[in-house]
Amino acid sequence: MSTFWRKSVDARTAVLYLLPSIILFSVFIFYPMFRTIYLSFFLTDQNGNAAINVGFENYQYLLSSSEFINSTKATVLFVLYTVPIGIVLALFFALLANEKLKGIGFFRTMYSSTMGISVAASSVIWLFMFNPSIGMFNRLLSVFSLPQIQWLLDPEWALLSVAISTIWMNLGFSFLIILGGLQNIDEHLYESSRIDGAGYFYRLRRITLPMLSPTLFFIITISLINAFQTFGQIDILTKGGPSQSTNLIVYSIYREAFINYQFGTASAQAVVLFVIILIVTILQFKLVEKKVHYQ
Amino acid sequence: MRKMLKSSLFLILILAMAVLTACTNSDSKESSTPSTDGNKGGTTNDGEKVSIEFWHAMSGTGQESIDKLVKGFNESQDNYEVKAEYQGSYEESLTKLRGVGGTKDAPAITQVFEVGTKYMIDSGYIEPMQSFIDKDNYDLSQLEENILNYYKVDGELYSMPFNSSTPVMIYNKDAFKAAGLDPEKAPGTFSEVIAAAEKLTTGDMKGFSMLTYGWFFEQLVATQGGLYVNEDNGRSGDATEALFNGPEGLNVFNFLNDMNEAGTFGNFGTVWDDIRSAFSTEKVAMYMDSSAGVAAAINNSPFEVGVAYIPYADEVQRNGVVIGGASLWMSKGIAEEEQEAAWEFMKYMATPEVQAQWHLDTGYFAINPAAYDEENVKEKWAEFPQFKVTVDQLQDTVPGLATQGALISVFPESRQQIVTALEELYQGNDPQEVLDKAAEGTNRAMEIANKTKK
Repeated sequence: MSTFWRKSVDARTAVLYLLPSIILFSVFIFYPMFRTIYLSFFLTDQNGNAAINVGFENYQYLLSSSEFINSTKATVLFVLYTVPIGIVLALFFALLANEKLKGIGFFRTMYSSTMGISVAASSVIWLFMFNPSIGMFNRLLSVFSLPQIQWLLDPEWALLSVAISTIWMNLGFSFLIILGGLQNIDEHLYESSRIDGAGYFYRLRRITLPMLSPTLFFIITISLINAFQTFGQIDILTKGGPSQSTNLIVYSIYREAFINYQFGTASAQAVVLFVIILIVTILQFKLVEKKVHYQ
Repeated sequence: MRKMLKSSLFLILILAMAVLTACTNSDSKESSTPSTDGNKGGTTNDGEKVSIEFWHAMSGTGQESIDKLVKGFNESQDNYEVKAEYQGSYEESLTKLRGVGGTKDAPAITQVFEVGTKYMIDSGYIEPMQSFIDKDNYDLSQLEENILNYYKVDGELYSMPFNSSTPVMIYNKDAFKAAGLDPEKAPGTFSEVIAAAEKLTTGDMKGFSMLTYGWFFEQLVATQGGLYVNEDNGRSGDATEALFNGPEGLNVFNFLNDMNEAGTFGNFGTVWDDIRSAFSTEKVAMYMDSSAGVAAAINNSPFEVGVAYIPYADEVQRNGVVIGGASLWMSKGIAEEEQEAAWEFMKYMATPEVQAQWHLDTGYFAINPAAYDEENVKEKWAEFPQFKVTVDQLQDTVPGLATQGALISVFPESRQQIVTALEELYQGNDPQEVLDKAAEGTNRAMEIANKTKK
């Protein structure tokens, strides 16, 4: 016994050091997570307490519910609209802002400024721009005598409109991370390649992108997860409408839990979303990370 | 690599700081609440005022008016002090109440919207108003009967009506003149509205519009005498089946569908401000709004504004409107002096003078009709006769199960189903089909609510 006690001193010290984060994680992550999984097997009463154990019925209901399937589709579409374009744009701006010019600091600040605006504030601004009667976009269209677009009211356009504003909102953060990555690339690499007579695009393809790949991998992962979890702009711009076309999974969870007070089905949706994000992230690590060039 | 690590560390630090400052902000807000709670506990000390909290969901002009009225109450006597606290929208404040309901931390008075009535009664968090009315021999007959009817369940009043509104149809008188219609006589029936909408539609301007919101649908069904759910609109027992997909509901959907197909209907979405700005920028000639929006419509429009009763189907009698808005609920499980204080405050809020001020500030009805005899109200009505239309419409309402309004605990969810149905209708789907789908969703929600009810 005493030898075991003495032998395990390292482990005990380790646990002691880990304790603060274990406690924090348990309170804010593990407990809510297990509670969510637990609730997903129940129907809850009006006060959100588990009332009737229904086993997997909530999941069965979700998988056969056209609304949830629609939410999943909308979420996947939304991710496809926002992530690739957002990153390519951020990369483009970062490459521009990485040039050594006079006053480039000003442009760097401008490009990353959207990071300083909260989702709520910028959504309200976009809401005004999308307004069907007095919004800026429709005013512009009418100046060029183009047909008016019901940005947030037409199911064909609504998701696209939200995606456009989301790309704008996330641009600052991606830009800043990518610019940081670009600045860390060793200047000597460029110098040697220039001596060898390599052109701009050759350098971009053979030096910049490979050296940037860890940063890109990071930002792709983060953007994907963020896009799956989009909530604020949906709540303010469309509230999931019209015709459920922008009812992304997280918004649907919110509505189910805090408007309809069905914590059971809401928890089941949350678990499904968790599984989807988990699979996507694992796939990313398996397939994409191999191509990442670490120094 | 090290440099990159360093810079990303720096970034994380900045982010963490942002998060921390955000946290401290909300902390400081929250820490101010316990101090008021502390006051609440020690209320029996001699010479100290009984202090209670009043949670409300009024922002903007409503909040200003409430603060004014509460100040008036606190200055009018020495025994009680009311603290008014804005708790976000109706949905948000109800969610917060769920957290503290039934404990001694609950606010003495909470303002809850009309469709939360059933939920509040079932929750067990509240003291029925009737017990204080009986104890105090309070004369209920001085209050507006049509408003009381909504909040009375099994003949008992559970909450004190406070801010009440009804839907009205607001129209552009100048556009009526331009289209050769009589601006003093608004269309009354569905077919009249459809005909007028066709004449009014010109270039940029659509004839008619309605906010995509379940409340207006409920009203258009009720004015035809149609019920929303079974069990006498949920008033004689727990409702189990939606009835709004019957002939009355179909009338409404066909009415909207006809105009939508004819291109005379303008869809301005689910946001109140959008449809209101569409009206004042002459993108739509007639639309449905809450009576609480009349004042703003008159003030913001550069043209003559008319207010009319809501339309009804041609083949039925007009039944009138259902009360919307919110009422004040007293908490159970708090100290007796606090309940006394709450009751005194509620009585004060129902006096003609207070109600007159409230009506003028916000456009909500006076729950005490004697308020309409106050000088300041008469003056305002002389200036804006449109206000009177809203009151007339309420007083002309035929009391009955339909206009009493439905009582179901899952109303917010059902309204969402209706919104979806309307949006699908505007995309050209079959009226009966989308209504049936909404009814099905409501049925499932009611089934779960009934199953899990204790």
